[in-house]
Amino acid sequence: MAQTASSQAGSLIWNFKEIAHHTLDGFGGMGEGMSMQLTKDGRRILWLAHESAPKNFTAVDVSDPRAPKIVARADLPEAHMRSNSLETVGDILAIAYQTQRPGLQPAGFELLDISVPENPRRISYTDCSGPHSRGVHQLWFADGETIHMSSGAPDFVPTHPKDDQFYRSFDVRNPSKPSEIGRWWLPGQKQGDNEPPLKRHPDGNDSGFRPHNTNVYPDRPDRVYMGYIDGGMIILDIADKAHPKMVSRWDYHPPNVGFTHTVVPFFDRNLLVVSDECTRNDGADWPKLVWIVDNRTEENPVPIATCPLPPVETFARRGGRFGAHNLWENLPKAGCWKSDTIVFGTFFNGGLRAYDLSNPYQPAEIAHFVPQVAGAPTGACQLNDVFIDDREIVYTVDRHVGGLYILEMDF
Amino acid sequence: MTDAPATIFANPAASPFGRRQRRARGARVPVSIVTGFLGSGKTTLIRALLATPEGADTAVIVNEFGEIGIDDALLRASSDTTVLLGNGCVCCLMRSDLQETLRTLYAERASGAVPGFRRIVIETSGLADPGPVLQTFASDRALGAEFHLQSLVAVVDAVAGAGNLARMEEARHQVALADRVVVTKTDLAPPNAVAALTEAVSRHTAAPVGIAHNGAIDPAFLLDDALDAPHPAAHHHHDHTHADGIASFTVFFDRPLAWPVFEQAMAVLTGLRGADLLRVKGLVAVEGCRGPVVVHAVQHTAHRPVELETWPTPDHRSRLVFITRNIGQAQIEALFAAVAAL
Repeated sequence: MAQTASSQAGSLIWNFKEIAHHTLDGFGGMGEGMSMQLTKDGRRILWLAHESAPKNFTAVDVSDPRAPKIVARADLPEAHMRSNSLETVGDILAIAYQTQRPGLQPAGFELLDISVPENPRRISYTDCSGPHSRGVHQLWFADGETIHMSSGAPDFVPTHPKDDQFYRSFDVRNPSKPSEIGRWWLPGQKQGDNEPPLKRHPDGNDSGFRPHNTNVYPDRPDRVYMGYIDGGMIILDIADKAHPKMVSRWDYHPPNVGFTHTVVPFFDRNLLVVSDECTRNDGADWPKLVWIVDNRTEENPVPIATCPLPPVETFARRGGRFGAHNLWENLPKAGCWKSDTIVFGTFFNGGLRAYDLSNPYQPAEIAHFVPQVAGAPTGACQLNDVFIDDREIVYTVDRHVGGLYILEMDF
Repeated sequence: MTDAPATIFANPAASPFGRRQRRARGARVPVSIVTGFLGSGKTTLIRALLATPEGADTAVIVNEFGEIGIDDALLRASSDTTVLLGNGCVCCLMRSDLQETLRTLYAERASGAVPGFRRIVIETSGLADPGPVLQTFASDRALGAEFHLQSLVAVVDAVAGAGNLARMEEARHQVALADRVVVTKTDLAPPNAVAALTEAVSRHTAAPVGIAHNGAIDPAFLLDDALDAPHPAAHHHHDHTHADGIASFTVFFDRPLAWPVFEQAMAVLTGLRGADLLRVKGLVAVEGCRGPVVVHAVQHTAHRPVELETWPTPDHRSRLVFITRNIGQAQIEALFAAVAAL
């Protein structure tokens, strides 16, 4: 059967066991939204965002991880939009909608009732479109009360078109009527700021100053951990949610090419794990790394190590992108696996990799999975995101065609 | 400014031996070492292993390509010292020393120069004493961070094995230090010779003995981790002492040990008699630890202890196999009792 066929021939697998592969019926180009619903009737449903139109999301029953089954999927209403990010809490699914250009619609976020996973029903849609807005690129929804996101707004005029998204939070305790709580952007990002516009990154490497991931954990509900793309890593104080303040910023580009993506705090270790996103093929923006940052003094984060990657000489030319992207974010939700010792990341053609941070100064790779993807347009896999459940089952998706791979840890 | 907390390391009180492992090897590359005299059937045994599904993706390290008989299996040479075999396997010539060979192989795997092997099998030369090879894997400074000694297998053939054991000290060492012993060529020897050889082997070791059929044996007998599932409690554990003064015995402790007690007892042993402590391996129930702690020492060198997530057996008693020269079980037990009483 296609949905459970092994992809092992030609794959590089070390200390993982591939237990299932689902090509998602020909729509295997997946984005960076992966969230698990524990249904009231005892099932585990993995909700997956697609990388691009025509598909919106696909829901896969992974109660038996060896036999994943599609239970729901939806198309996008427009070809010029994508739903790259989603999260579930209980029986509510939140989806981010971003358009290809500013001024288009629908650009915002939607809340759906998924109490019957086979039949998602809209609860509300919140419009974030505007003449300078592409809508919502990413959202973080973990506590059932607040959504933190990277979004544009109707009234936000950036000083540069690439800086259209900023940090926004919404109260969704009444999911039929989300209401905005707070905003924050880098001073100089918005027209009318007292500060001068932000200095652009040189040599065609201008990706923009805006948040990518906006993580908030119950361990520190007064903090937002943001990858701010060309702005580096930023920690916000949201003790006063209506008036966020910057606590610290670690910006390492240039010299590196920008695109800070995700910041995952290991609270008990006073560490931050920070990922870049590789956005160019054939190693053009090398190196794109996973950084280990000493956060003992929050005001002064200090990078101490990076997670080792296989040789760039070998991988940069395997096809497509090679470098860091998404991390397993220790999602603070039921059914999710958590660790303050092991980091999982996806590295496009470098596959999925796991690192042991027992010695934070010397991260050690302990497992990898680089599937051979049939029909990959770039010639190699482009693993895009990773999710891990509390059964220690690891799910990873390919950005182009490979769909969903389900693995067991074997280390 | 907030006060800087002390550490970015995991809480050592919660997990004194670092991350708990599902198995002794953790994420390291498993290495099986096959020893045995020239003509004992090592090569045949390894070749048979490589042809099984369980033996796929194995890197074999040999002294001479001729030994492994790769001519018919040779697909292509990947370098002067490495050839690719069928079934995803790699055959690699021993370079000037084992450490360099293993490091090169590891680097070549990371760079994609050789296929992504999942284990290494080393065929030693006939007269090799396995002791120094064991030490290679003992410390992180050597290869212990990347490689895990999974099993040391001694091959003894039913035709010449008894004579070798009687005459050759190296043959006795190979058997005494082994985790498992494979008896080969039983079809060429009279039945009573096989029984006699098995009896002779058991005088030198308490390790399990397996009989090869047509040069092959269950892959698990060669590849499974000897430390994850050490000798069962029911195994007889009388002294196996022979003419060289080498003894093999299993010591049990009914109650969990405080780790400093184990450490200090071993420190006394290695400090005073390290050269005669040929091998110590087993599981220790340590006070305050959830799983057993896997320990392995070779003469003066101890492997990094690893705590397992769970016990592999219902019996949670510490069990340690000692292979010693002129140190008896009673002395070891008295030493541990004395240290524990302090």
